[in-house]
Amino acid sequence: MGGIRGKLIGIFVLIKVVPLLLLAGFAWYATSQLGADVSTKAGSMADAMLSTIKSVGQTVTDDSIRALDQRSREAIESLTTNAAKEIADFLHDRDADIRQAASLEPSEAAFRRFLSQRSRPIYQHGPWKLAADGRSWEPEQPVKREARITRPVLADNAKDFHTRPPEYFGESEQRPLFVEMTFVDLDGNEKIKVTTGQLTEKSRKNVVDRRNTFVKAETYFPELKKLKAGEIYVSDVIGAYVPTQAIGPYLPAALEKAGKPFKPEESAYAGTENPVGKRFRGIVRWAMPVVRGGQTVGYVTLALDHDHIRQFSDRLMPTDERYTPIADAIKGNYAFIWDYKSRSISHPRDYFIVGYDPQTGLPTTPWLDADLYAEWQASGKPSHEFLAGIPSFRDQSLKLKPAKEQVKAGTVGLDCRYLNFSPQCDGWNALTEHGGSGSFVIYFSGLWKLTTAAAIPYHTGQYGKSPQGFGFVTIGANVDEFHKAATETAAKINLLVEEKDANLTIQRGELLDHIAESLTATGIGLWTSTLLMVAVVIAIAIWMAGLLTRRITAMISGIHAFQEGDRKHRLEVDSADEMGELSRSFNRMADSVEESFKRLEEAKEKAEEASRQKSAFLATMSHELRTPLNGILGFAELLGNELDNPEQRGYVEIIEQSGGHLLNLVNEILDLAKIESGEMRFARVAFPLTELLIEIATVHRVTAETKGLKFETILADELPAEFITDPTRLRQILNNLLSNAVKFTDAGSVVFSVSRIDGDIAFAIRDTGPGIPPESRETIFEKFKQLENFLTREHGGTGLGLALVRQLADHMGGRVTLESEIGVGSTFTVYLPLDISHD
Amino acid sequence: MTDSRNALVVDDHPTNRLLASALLRKLGWTVIEAESGNAALTLAAEHVFSLVMLDISMPGLSGEDTCTQLRAAEAGRPLHILAYTAHAFPEDRERLLAAGFDDVLVKPISRQRLEELLEKL
Repeated sequence: MGGIRGKLIGIFVLIKVVPLLLLAGFAWYATSQLGADVSTKAGSMADAMLSTIKSVGQTVTDDSIRALDQRSREAIESLTTNAAKEIADFLHDRDADIRQAASLEPSEAAFRRFLSQRSRPIYQHGPWKLAADGRSWEPEQPVKREARITRPVLADNAKDFHTRPPEYFGESEQRPLFVEMTFVDLDGNEKIKVTTGQLTEKSRKNVVDRRNTFVKAETYFPELKKLKAGEIYVSDVIGAYVPTQAIGPYLPAALEKAGKPFKPEESAYAGTENPVGKRFRGIVRWAMPVVRGGQTVGYVTLALDHDHIRQFSDRLMPTDERYTPIADAIKGNYAFIWDYKSRSISHPRDYFIVGYDPQTGLPTTPWLDADLYAEWQASGKPSHEFLAGIPSFRDQSLKLKPAKEQVKAGTVGLDCRYLNFSPQCDGWNALTEHGGSGSFVIYFSGLWKLTTAAAIPYHTGQYGKSPQGFGFVTIGANVDEFHKAATETAAKINLLVEEKDANLTIQRGELLDHIAESLTATGIGLWTSTLLMVAVVIAIAIWMAGLLTRRITAMISGIHAFQEGDRKHRLEVDSADEMGELSRSFNRMADSVEESFKRLEEAKEKAEEASRQKSAFLATMSHELRTPLNGILGFAELLGNELDNPEQRGYVEIIEQSGGHLLNLVNEILDLAKIESGEMRFARVAFPLTELLIEIATVHRVTAETKGLKFETILADELPAEFITDPTRLRQILNNLLSNAVKFTDAGSVVFSVSRIDGDIAFAIRDTGPGIPPESRETIFEKFKQLENFLTREHGGTGLGLALVRQLADHMGGRVTLESEIGVGSTFTVYLPLDISHD
Repeated sequence: MTDSRNALVVDDHPTNRLLASALLRKLGWTVIEAESGNAALTLAAEHVFSLVMLDISMPGLSGEDTCTQLRAAEAGRPLHILAYTAHAFPEDRERLLAAGFDDVLVKPISRQRLEELLEKL
């Protein structure tokens, strides 16, 4: 029963649990995938967000920097062009001065008056000193600037309300524009000479000789001779070159390193780098013919104090400071001026301003690159002669190195034409050579600098030869300064990005944790519910299987009860389903079986009754036949013994023979009837075979020999001592066959031989009788089939003997065979099985 | 064989009773006949027999019952009781021997057969 129960549970579990598990597995897989996807996407989303923020930050920063750079560039370019224009305006004003001067009646008084009427403020810083640590210069009295607001800012103006203190250019000093005013006659003699300050000589000289001019460098007189009426001559900037002992901050450490004595006052002034140095002093000379009555009678000259020009660049600060009393070159934010030959004529570092050797009046060799310097040295020429043959701006490149010898000598005036390690020279010229302006960015002196250039639109005299005019103003500005705000913003953004990154990382971690927790919870829930459901399903399966099998078990025990004989047993029909139908069917079958059994039993009883009646009939018949036969045979015998008359005795013998025949008939009929009705019982007893055989043979030998026949008995040696069968029936069989043999043989012999053939004992009775025709060899074993010519009458046979023999042999597990030849004889052989165990 | 040669022949069938008596007398027996079991018991009480030939199928007291009662009545005395019957089946012989008969003489009888049996007694 466990089989069906097990299978039911198995099937139930299979069809319910497996899909459940598959479903759960699929759900878990999908959930896990989803979790993994969400994790990945959350991660990539966070990365993307961060990347976007970074990118936006970078873009904003870049854009801001670019915008600020552009704005700054625009502002600085504008500043540059404004400065250039102011310089040009200033110079044009000087043209007006020279014209007015030319119209004056040349006299010392007039000249003095003229000069005294022309002055401008020069702004300069106060005294500076070396800082206590000797590592920088500092103002002795720092200037404090303060934007003052003494009224409340209106709400409407409050947004980005920005105020600046008054601009501070430095300490103001009213300085005469011109250091000298002369009237030179047609031979070059200075007829009138009025000076201001101590820059120029006060004595009158002949300016034809260069040595009598400022720093022995002026060569203007030949130019004056070429002037027509109304034409103006304007000279180059002329001044003595101021060398330096150090480039960059002039500090004790730097000098010590260069192996030079620390004498800042003897070295060139350099703004904050050396605020106590020696200043470049120079002039620009205007001249104009003095015409009287259509005749040039001489020339009036005005020597402009070069400091006034420098004011236009030295005070400029291309930062939110806007103006400064002292330039700070090291920071890269400063303005400078180049003349029409691209020579430096204004620079925060005075040693960069080209000048002349006041002893010789020749130009001081400008700063050359190492190659050009070597080339010059090799030429053996004075530098101005050598350089005259060198193309301007030759192969300028940042890759070229400055000549160290000149750094050591301290002569580093900047003449852009030969300053080949400084390619911006070429750039400035490119921007300004056609009178324009512009800018570019270059990495120079360790800084990214925006450098602008604007031509100074002043074209008087020799300055009219080129659209570049007087020269050009350049402003250098540290690019980083422009977009400081942007870089600060960028730094802030980067900080924010880092914070965001950290936040996102934390959030992402939290998200991943949350997902993992959620997955775990889902997994636990999923699998717990699945397992619960599985448990429930299994419980239901067991319950249902129990329910089903309980009924089946009940049914089977009912069937068993029925099978074991309780034919009244019926199954309970308690449902209308298939099980109920099965029970009903079984009950119907049981009814039918019971009915059949009843009928069978009735039939059996009838058959048994019939059998009993038959047996009773047989017994009665036997009894009733024998009773009269007893009288007939008994009294016939008695009578025979009493009678003396042979004829009468013959009759009595006939009565005896007939009675005997009838008795035989009765016996054989009864035997056959018993065999056929199955009532004959066969004994199985062990008995001495040979003894029985000899006894039988003896009886028939007597009969045979009486008849004149030869009777032979052949018993084989291998016969068993004991044989197991029914000896009475064996005797009956052998008697029957032997008596037949003797009976039907008229002459010759009867041979009774017994041998062992395979597992049988073969009892063979051979006679020399008439033989049995082939067509009769089977039928003689049938009842009442005795052969025609051997009628009962003649031989006293009943016609039942052979039938009985065969029946007996068959029932004893053996068989009877017949071999016969007409006129020769017959052999009947009975085979009975040998019981090996009694061998 | 006892010295007393008194025999009782019991058979309801007169012919068969006569045959048995005749044969026994031929053999030198003094024979008294009875036609039923009850008659046999009465006679047995009056006479002393050494041999009883007893038919089996008789009206009234059957051969077996008569045998049983005779054996009870004659307990301690030598008495040979032969069944004299037409019941010829082997099972009949077994039944009768079990019922107390000394031997069974199946009808039809012959003098030779009777003599053999009497010899064996």
